[in-house]
Amino acid sequence: MSAALRLDGVGFSYGAVAALCDVSFEVAAGERVALLGRNGAGKTTLVRLVAGLLHPDAGTVWVGDWDTGERAPEQLARRVGSLFQHADQQLFARTVREDVGFGPRALGFPAHEVSRRTEEALEALALGGHATQHPYDLPPALRKLAALAGTLALEPMLLVLDEPTGGLDRVLRAQVADALREHAERGAALLVVTHDLAFAAETLDRGIVLDGGRLAYDEPLAALLTSAERLKPLGLVPPTVAALSVALDLPGRPVRERDAAHTLARVAGGGPGL
Amino acid sequence: MTRLALEEVTFWYPATRAPALREVSLEVAAGEIVALVGKVGAGASTLLLVAADLAPRVTGGRLAGAVRRRARSGIVLPTPWTQLSGMAFTVWDEVAFGPANLGWPGHEIARYVDHALERLEIASLAARDPVTLSGGELQRVIVAGLLAMDPDVVLLDEPTAELDPAGARSVWRLLRLLAGEGKAIVVATSELDAVPDVADRVVWLEDGAVRAIGTPQLLAEDAAGDGGVGTTVAGIWRAAGLAPPYPLTVADAVRRWP
Repeated sequence: MSAALRLDGVGFSYGAVAALCDVSFEVAAGERVALLGRNGAGKTTLVRLVAGLLHPDAGTVWVGDWDTGERAPEQLARRVGSLFQHADQQLFARTVREDVGFGPRALGFPAHEVSRRTEEALEALALGGHATQHPYDLPPALRKLAALAGTLALEPMLLVLDEPTGGLDRVLRAQVADALREHAERGAALLVVTHDLAFAAETLDRGIVLDGGRLAYDEPLAALLTSAERLKPLGLVPPTVAALSVALDLPGRPVRERDAAHTLARVAGGGPGL
Repeated sequence: MTRLALEEVTFWYPATRAPALREVSLEVAAGEIVALVGKVGAGASTLLLVAADLAPRVTGGRLAGAVRRRARSGIVLPTPWTQLSGMAFTVWDEVAFGPANLGWPGHEIARYVDHALERLEIASLAARDPVTLSGGELQRVIVAGLLAMDPDVVLLDEPTAELDPAGARSVWRLLRLLAGEGKAIVVATSELDAVPDVADRVVWLEDGAVRAIGTPQLLAEDAAGDGGVGTTVAGIWRAAGLAPPYPLTVADAVRRWP
């Protein structure tokens, strides 16, 4: 079976400015991948290439067995669900429910299927209570969730999300994490651009790091997040749980909150002074 | 010296029955950083809009109570891309837009703009067209535009949401510097783990009302127990079933660890 996403020697330049250079990797169905790097590393360009909004100058981007260079974005939408930065501005319908249902309707699904997907996506992000509201009556954080619900309702084989948690509080971030994990369990591949390394640690497993448009690392996320000396030159800082694991020398170096609490309880064993 | 005071402020957005702020009182002094924390919808953004005199003046709606400003304020909105003037073709001109509108002489404008670009570490972007910037670059440009106007009260809504972790750290360091220069700073943030090292006081908002005001220690005590607004380390300590008081930061945890 072909990978959900495959980049073969991909390069892209904005005029004279090279944004991506010779990037290759594969993402399998159900894999949960964080795409990391400092501002300007090429992450957003990569997302635009995968969504078919840009076409590579060199190499090929494959989504399943489709060459994205030969597909229009609206065709790719059958396989790729994308959420862009500033997604809260991509809403246009009169109600949140209509907006979430727009994608599946545009793909030509029958009414009952549109309705099932819409309600499931609203439910997954706990937006049911806001379904009849006008998107612009919601705070920006909930508008962003509404845009994400619209992406999830496409039920694509590949979800490509650019900063899905900016401005969300901890409760909403946890909801997004749950919803994404559920889609991955059903076989969707996840490629998530994020500066929110705490969210990445809780939700994703593999870390791909871009630096100056080139692939710098591709490895298990937990190993990367506990390595301050490798993150620092990339403009990244270990998230709190990873920093705590290292600072307290916790066995197994957990990077997720629940794992850290569990390990801490075991190690402390009710010791004095804690 | 108090720079900004809200006295029993209640605010309703247009065509809504439930107020977005309920009897909020808060004084912010020169040289102080106040962090607003709470869940989405708790009222932090509205409080900043009221403090900036944008609500109800621009948003519409109705305000009860009093807001006293003894200084000029500037605000950074949570959506920096909506805050561009749309009138500038370079980052330098964009940052100069605010001071130019204050009617300052040209050499003063240039001095403040150059200084602001340097402080945000974006001098290299000066000649770029603002519409070509990444989210993180844009966020820094908007903050620079605010600083170029030299406001006495600095209001920021999620100023690090678009920044990479290193960029976020430099913004937090910058806020401490600005407070050291006597500016009064109010910042709404969901980056709770940054608050202990940045804020002097924490205001915990819930359903538009002040639930508690205190030192950042609040995020290890009341707040950590209530879900949502404690620091990560406090939350882990609590989840591990260890005894309070919970450590607030990794550094606190290390001090506590045998």
